[in-house]
Amino acid sequence: MAGVMRFLTRTAGGQDGRRIGVTDVLAYGYLILGVLLILVPVSWTFLSSVKPREAIEAFDTRLLPLDQIEAEVDGRGLRPLYAWDDPRTEGQPVVKVGPTRALTDVARIDRPEEVLQAPRGELVALEEVRIATENYLDPILQRGGQRNFAFFRYLGNTVFVTVVATLITLLINSMAAFALSKYEFRGRMTFTLLIVATLLIPSTIILVSLFFVVWSMGIFGSLWGVIIPAAATPTGVFLLRQYMLTIPDELLEAARMDAASEWKIYWRIVLPLSLPALSVLAILSVIWRWNDFLWPLIVLISDPTRHTLQIGLTAFSGEFSSSTHYILAMTVVSLIPVTLVFVYLQRFITTGIATTGLK
Amino acid sequence: MTQVPALRLSKIVKSYGQLTVMHGVDLEISEGEFVVFVGPSGCGKSTLLRLIAGLDDPSSGEIEVAGKRVNGIPASERGLSMVFQSYALYPHMTVRANLSFGLENMRMDRAEIARRVNHAATLLQIDPLMDRRPGQLSGGQRQRVAIGRAIVREPKIFLFDEPLSNLDAELRVQMRVEISALHAELGNTMIYVTHDQVEAMTMADRIVVLRAGRIEQVGRPLDLYNHPANRFVAGFIGAPQMNFLGGVIAAGGGLTLDCGGTKQVRFDEAVPAGARVTVGIRPETIEVSLDGQGELTGTVTGFEQLGSVTYIYTALPNGEKLTMQLAAQVPLTRGQSIGITLPLAHTHVFLDADGRALRMAGGHR
Amino acid sequence: MTPALILFYVVAALWLGGGTLWLLSHRRYRITQAPQFAMDLLGFPVEIAQAVFGRGGVPYAFLLPNMLIFGLFTFVPVILNFYVSMTGGPALNVTQRPFVGFENYRVLFDCASILQPQTCSNAGFTFWTSMFNTLWFVLFQVPVLVAVAMVTALVLNRAIAGRGFWRAMFFYPVMLSPVVIANIWKWILHRKGVLSASLEDGAASVATFAGVTGFSIMACVVLAILLLIAAERTLRAGAAPSVVWAALFGAPFVAVIAWADPVGLAQGMASGTGLWLGLALALGLLGLVIRDHRLVRPVLVALCLLAVGLLLTIQFDAVFDFSGFRAVNWLVTPATGWPFFWIVFVFCWSHMGFYMLILLAGLQAIPRDIYEAAEMDGTRPVRVFFRITLPLVMPTLTVVIVLAMIRSFQVFDEVYLLTGGGPGRETFMIVQNIFEEAFSGTNPRYGIAAAGSVLMAIVIAAFTAVQLFATRRRSGI
Repeated sequence: MAGVMRFLTRTAGGQDGRRIGVTDVLAYGYLILGVLLILVPVSWTFLSSVKPREAIEAFDTRLLPLDQIEAEVDGRGLRPLYAWDDPRTEGQPVVKVGPTRALTDVARIDRPEEVLQAPRGELVALEEVRIATENYLDPILQRGGQRNFAFFRYLGNTVFVTVVATLITLLINSMAAFALSKYEFRGRMTFTLLIVATLLIPSTIILVSLFFVVWSMGIFGSLWGVIIPAAATPTGVFLLRQYMLTIPDELLEAARMDAASEWKIYWRIVLPLSLPALSVLAILSVIWRWNDFLWPLIVLISDPTRHTLQIGLTAFSGEFSSSTHYILAMTVVSLIPVTLVFVYLQRFITTGIATTGLK
Repeated sequence: MTQVPALRLSKIVKSYGQLTVMHGVDLEISEGEFVVFVGPSGCGKSTLLRLIAGLDDPSSGEIEVAGKRVNGIPASERGLSMVFQSYALYPHMTVRANLSFGLENMRMDRAEIARRVNHAATLLQIDPLMDRRPGQLSGGQRQRVAIGRAIVREPKIFLFDEPLSNLDAELRVQMRVEISALHAELGNTMIYVTHDQVEAMTMADRIVVLRAGRIEQVGRPLDLYNHPANRFVAGFIGAPQMNFLGGVIAAGGGLTLDCGGTKQVRFDEAVPAGARVTVGIRPETIEVSLDGQGELTGTVTGFEQLGSVTYIYTALPNGEKLTMQLAAQVPLTRGQSIGITLPLAHTHVFLDADGRALRMAGGHR
Repeated sequence: MTPALILFYVVAALWLGGGTLWLLSHRRYRITQAPQFAMDLLGFPVEIAQAVFGRGGVPYAFLLPNMLIFGLFTFVPVILNFYVSMTGGPALNVTQRPFVGFENYRVLFDCASILQPQTCSNAGFTFWTSMFNTLWFVLFQVPVLVAVAMVTALVLNRAIAGRGFWRAMFFYPVMLSPVVIANIWKWILHRKGVLSASLEDGAASVATFAGVTGFSIMACVVLAILLLIAAERTLRAGAAPSVVWAALFGAPFVAVIAWADPVGLAQGMASGTGLWLGLALALGLLGLVIRDHRLVRPVLVALCLLAVGLLLTIQFDAVFDFSGFRAVNWLVTPATGWPFFWIVFVFCWSHMGFYMLILLAGLQAIPRDIYEAAEMDGTRPVRVFFRITLPLVMPTLTVVIVLAMIRSFQVFDEVYLLTGGGPGRETFMIVQNIFEEAFSGTNPRYGIAAAGSVLMAIVIAAFTAVQLFATRRRSGI
């Protein structure tokens, strides 16, 4: 690894027309490899999620969603079709009419009464490309006997938690940030340090006692038990405070001369001017709440009507591990919003995190 | 009947913890006056303005606006308005919203708001800009909007906090004239803070010179120029700066200059012989003779020919430097010796012990 | 009526009712100003604070909601944790929990030796197993994570076309939820999943290829030629030895030594030292190259001779057993180390982008002119990295290491969802232990779980302190 230092130490910029050297090849090779490592698993999951149930259960590793063609055969119902390279078929597909053996009984679909004996190895499944939309639609529309994954309920719970928690976070974090950035008051340093402290306290070590607090407040088992403890984020306070420090104090003084109350200064002057930082925090908060796992698992697991998408998906994967096709499809569904948000707002998010340096 | 002053400050003290930045300032400003606070940076002039505005509260002392004590009254209720150094226009509001924001906060009638905003816009010729945002305006236009925001409130006193410091030189001269014209038209009391003594001299009815939280001198511009109360004011007002030469009080009552030569002066008060003094003399009052005849002889170390005036920089034999200003074009070479005469009538004498100006008995004017 | 609900109603009544009364009595609103009234009502506590206490009271009113939540849901639990860890029983009401002193800690420490968890009580066994698993995890995870993040950040800090795109791609997994990540990797790492299938296919095709006559001789010659070219490029005339080419030489060299196992050859039996010997020799060579040592040339020549000689003396296809691959159930097979490996891998996969981003920001904050000055001085790139980049990015690196460490200690989601702590307890981490003691099963042992949290907090604090102390000393160069 130390050997690659040479190309790693070159700085950015400086497109001074130098030849593409071995270091550039290595650099781009590394990046392409990394991106493949990230994209291939996600894409593979997506490709798999549209494969028919049979293909998934057989661990079909072909890229396309191939499904065996079926046809109605007189007197035998819907049967899968095979191709058999034999003059007697005259190019017609065949169906199996008996159990699969070394020599299997098959029949042409146009002449189902006439039973032929085909060696097992010569029968090739006839396949077509088919997007298995039922993987998605069955759980979402609760059809096909698929009632265990209450998609819209989970989605509704997740959206409720995400939206309400984000709104509360934006409001109270910006209020605290405003106080810490624009007022001189006794205890300002203390409050700032307290918030730094919350940043350093790992949330998992207070898991048990947080449970006691939430339980004794009576919000355990409800969505509020997920929303409220997470609403005050130290990251948000710091991000906004950092931004608000750049708003000139004279602007606030001008507003004071203009007879604006402090609350009015906050929501008419400071909030509109902090919009860039607020939107970064909003995106971060949406992602955090959308992806939350451990705490919702503790608070909401016992009541299936209050599951979020993540918890519902976990419970579903645990209980119905045979329904891999549904699990993959629902995984993709839960991945799509975050991916869309990311595709449209990635510059915003990456610069936002890079400047605050916190999560 | 004595008129109630527009603003009265008495014994204003301002401390931040251990640090005292304002040491008992007393000042009265009458109705309609244009007063300029001037001083070097850190002298407390902006602090004083903020105390008057109500953005800070004094540690002790009284502030009265139109005879009414306003200590503790919020800034917006003192009947003042302020133009900030950075203009402090709300960047997310249009010019019109910037002007009307304060009036809306005071829950003024809508028709009245419209009347005042339109009046100010006409007065400052910013009507075409009313729907733009501050980011789309030039420096001078922003300046006008900031003044407009002050005007619409129809305040008793206008406060200006170095409003021209962000403009380029040309625009600064233009806005200086416009603010003076505005004062003439509105007739309001205006308090103007600057570190630029030229702005102070050109705009003020009265100048307040501040240093380190104390008032050094208050007076009309020419009084300050002609009769500085101490060495600091003498040095601060006037460009190029007044020349200062070291000297000592002679036993006979006159004074001896370090660079040679004596002056026969008597003072209104008894000054002990041997006391160190500084003699101040304005560059334009020094008499120069190019043929080398004069009380003193100096070597030309540099000169600047501006056409209408010529600045000559000389060194005296003892190393002291002297700047002269001639309202003429003169032929000069570097290293040339010239004769210098310091006319008694234009000489100021400051006691080194405290910097105070000594008044000369039967002195000029 | 729960306490929270009562509190909620009281506050709501005071806020909405009192606020409306107060606002309407102090201000006039037109009908069209309803939104303004709503906002004023929302900020009514701040308004009343200003009216009662003046501007001095306002910041406290602004801070109140945020600090209230911090207090209730962070600071109170921190204190409460100590108390809960000294109580026993399954009672949920804190006041009804019997105080047992240090009993829970005693149970956890009830071992013949902590280092051998199987000698402990049941609770002690799961706790110390999870603790040591977590320590191992942190020990592997943090260096790997930080090194990969650092290398990626350094690559992205170069003159790379489309930096924004690469940066975004590497950051993308950070945005995914643990459930999604676990489902994706479970699907890929299944015994019959795409990874096993690809490896099987790959092994099968290579084996077929290797079966061709003369393949082993050809492969030996090609490998030898590649080694010689790399060695030649390393020592190109006139220039300092090239670190990159030395590394390119090192990789196949390590492979050859590892396969050929010269010590084993001499003894006539496999010694298992091949890989380590190869690594040691290659790293030694790299060290010499980095320092531009005068022994580089003779050492390199000697290594070349060794490698070529080994290649010629050994039977090539005896070394490469291409058909040896059997499908592995990556996440389930015990005693193979694979579950642990994949947990480290997936954690790295999903979190690397975040640390990379912070390191990249730190790297970009280093002024360009410092590098230009170093270039004017003719400083060699390796030296630029160790003497300029590394010291200047050290503060960021420290932050990243501490954050990565705190996060790795708390690892739960991915592991719980991927392996559930198994196989056996091979990947059983401490947060899962706390979670299972307290929240799963019919007999929750909150006291034990809380005591475990306290011990975990102590370990994290100690590690962080050591880490901060170490980097402070190092960055003081």
